Amino acid sequence: MAPSIQFEQVIKKYRIGQWLPSIREALGRFSGGRAENYHMAVDNVSFALEPGEALGIIGPNGAGKTTILKLLSGVTYPTSGQINIRGRYSALIELGAGFHPDLTGRENIFLNGTILGMRRADIRNRFDQIVEFAGIGNFLDTPVKRYSSGMYARLGFSIAAHVDPDVLIVDEVLAVGDYSFQQRCHARMDELRAKGTALIFVSHDMDAVRRVCDRGLVMYRGKNIFQGSAAEAVVAYSDAVRRAARDLKTTTAEGGLAERVMSFDAEIEGVTLLGANGRPITVVQSGDSVTVGVDIKFHKDIEEPIFSFTIRTTDGRIVYDTTTRWKKIRTPNFVAGERCRVEYKLDLPLLEGEYDLGVDVISTDFSHYYDRLERAMGFWVKSADGAQGLVDLDAKVAFHRLALNGAGD
Amino acid sequence: MTVAEITSPPARSRFQHLLAHRDLLVAWTLRTIRARYKQSVLGGLWAILQPTASTIIFSLVFTYFVPIDTGGIPYIVFSYVAMVPWTLFTTSIADMVDSLVGNMNLVSKIYFPREILPLAALLARVLDFGIAVGLLILLMLYFRIPFLTPALLYLPIILVVQMALALGLGLIGAALNVFYRDVKHLIVLGLQLWLYASPIIYPVTKVPEWLRPYYFINPMAGVIESYRAVLLAQQAPGNYLITAACIAIIVLVAGYYFFKKVEFQFADVV
Repeated sequence: MAPSIQFEQVIKKYRIGQWLPSIREALGRFSGGRAENYHMAVDNVSFALEPGEALGIIGPNGAGKTTILKLLSGVTYPTSGQINIRGRYSALIELGAGFHPDLTGRENIFLNGTILGMRRADIRNRFDQIVEFAGIGNFLDTPVKRYSSGMYARLGFSIAAHVDPDVLIVDEVLAVGDYSFQQRCHARMDELRAKGTALIFVSHDMDAVRRVCDRGLVMYRGKNIFQGSAAEAVVAYSDAVRRAARDLKTTTAEGGLAERVMSFDAEIEGVTLLGANGRPITVVQSGDSVTVGVDIKFHKDIEEPIFSFTIRTTDGRIVYDTTTRWKKIRTPNFVAGERCRVEYKLDLPLLEGEYDLGVDVISTDFSHYYDRLERAMGFWVKSADGAQGLVDLDAKVAFHRLALNGAGD
Repeated sequence: MTVAEITSPPARSRFQHLLAHRDLLVAWTLRTIRARYKQSVLGGLWAILQPTASTIIFSLVFTYFVPIDTGGIPYIVFSYVAMVPWTLFTTSIADMVDSLVGNMNLVSKIYFPREILPLAALLARVLDFGIAVGLLILLMLYFRIPFLTPALLYLPIILVVQMALALGLGLIGAALNVFYRDVKHLIVLGLQLWLYASPIIYPVTKVPEWLRPYYFINPMAGVIESYRAVLLAQQAPGNYLITAACIAIIVLVAGYYFFKKVEFQFADVV
């Protein structure tokens, strides 16, 4: 089946600084120029998407994610490279695009729907579903400027979700809206994918990306530094941010990961998983005791850092996430140059499968990470029990034969 | 299923693209109209305020202070017949020039044929024009000017010529305004001066005979004079309408071509 999207060796350059094109330049195609005046927003990126596939694009702010979306939706043109989209596409780069505050919800549904590419007849047919999904039934005939930001977002997404395109492009617009709304949005995206819509999803919410997408593309400073499964992409991104923090080339706010900063005042030097016999292991029997060991070096004086670790399944679901703060454990102060080893002892009554172990060192006020390893290592659990799920709750089974007239024995 | 190649839209599919977006054109025109009148007290009366106010002032000045001979027709009708289409011309061009810059949040985020914005601006003003024409009809009836003649059949043609000219200028202005923000002010100033170069306040007869052929190089001179010929003199318009039509077509084609050529840069120059 022919791919829904083909993005081939696309480059997008912007000239930085004051830019007024001469008329001659405006008429001709934008080309060449001295290198130092240009910002390479997208540097030779390629990918392809089949119908029904979902690709997550992640990366810090300014990495080129939104530029890729704009290139895909035809808002801007590549400096070089080829972009092909098969079928109708709908891009949700801004919720409620075209909404006029003085017009009612009803009027704006038709307006926004048309902007997103629906025919008037289509909008009429789907009107009730759109209203129901957004949950604004009572406010249909009120001017939109009276809507709360949540209603606004719900309506905007609802319209876009009903465009029924062959390709849906979603920029991080779902940050607005409460948890249940986001769940419904994810469910709707799943529905569309089941129908064969290809989906491109840009988000800072790593859990959402893992949940919604099959594949992930990591952008960093205009370059595509990783392409693979969604879970692997999240890890690759986290590693990239960690490398950047270590290089100290970027000091703060490399966006993403819920805008947390890795300051690297403390550094995780090593992580080990030890079995009951004290030896490093990678395969564990379900129910075994293990010790997670984390070696940390402190580069600065740090007061009462928070230590935490997380166990996840390979597709990103959290199995167990704990911190010393949540356990109400008081950690000591550390001086620059000191080293410390944190040990977590626990039993692992997990069901058979592969798991990831993540480790963090967090500032005492939870404001930022000192260091974070999204996936410090992986391990396997072997289980004799044929149960499904995450945890072996070890149910004990008993059965009693009942007499024909219902009396017990 | 159609394959949409985004790298550079070829010319022939541009028109199909526009047709496919006709619903958007209608929706955006309605939005412009509704938004304009929803919160205003005067509502539709704004449509006639501009031509009427100008006409009243001009009438006072050129009937009592500096009388101008308008060949037996009351000055107020004489100038209003010209003011109504002229107002359409100037307001539509001003709106069109602003249409892209004023909707930059949309242009920079969503794809649609950009010419829809100026087009919608123009069509929204045609509504105002219709309302002002209503008042014109009342005026003509009051002054007992016979306008229901076969010459009326030329009216749609004159209107189309005017709109073609306005659209061509509006497309060029809208595109230029994205790159150079003072274009709008230049155009507004130009339109104010253009009023005096056109036979709105004064009849064409005031223009010296030897100057007249050059005078009609101004396409709006031809358009305005055509309106007057049809409505006030019950005659078919002269050759000046053909001149105006040719210029209008050239401006429209050149304007559309220019617009489409630079369109791809709009989203980048915000």
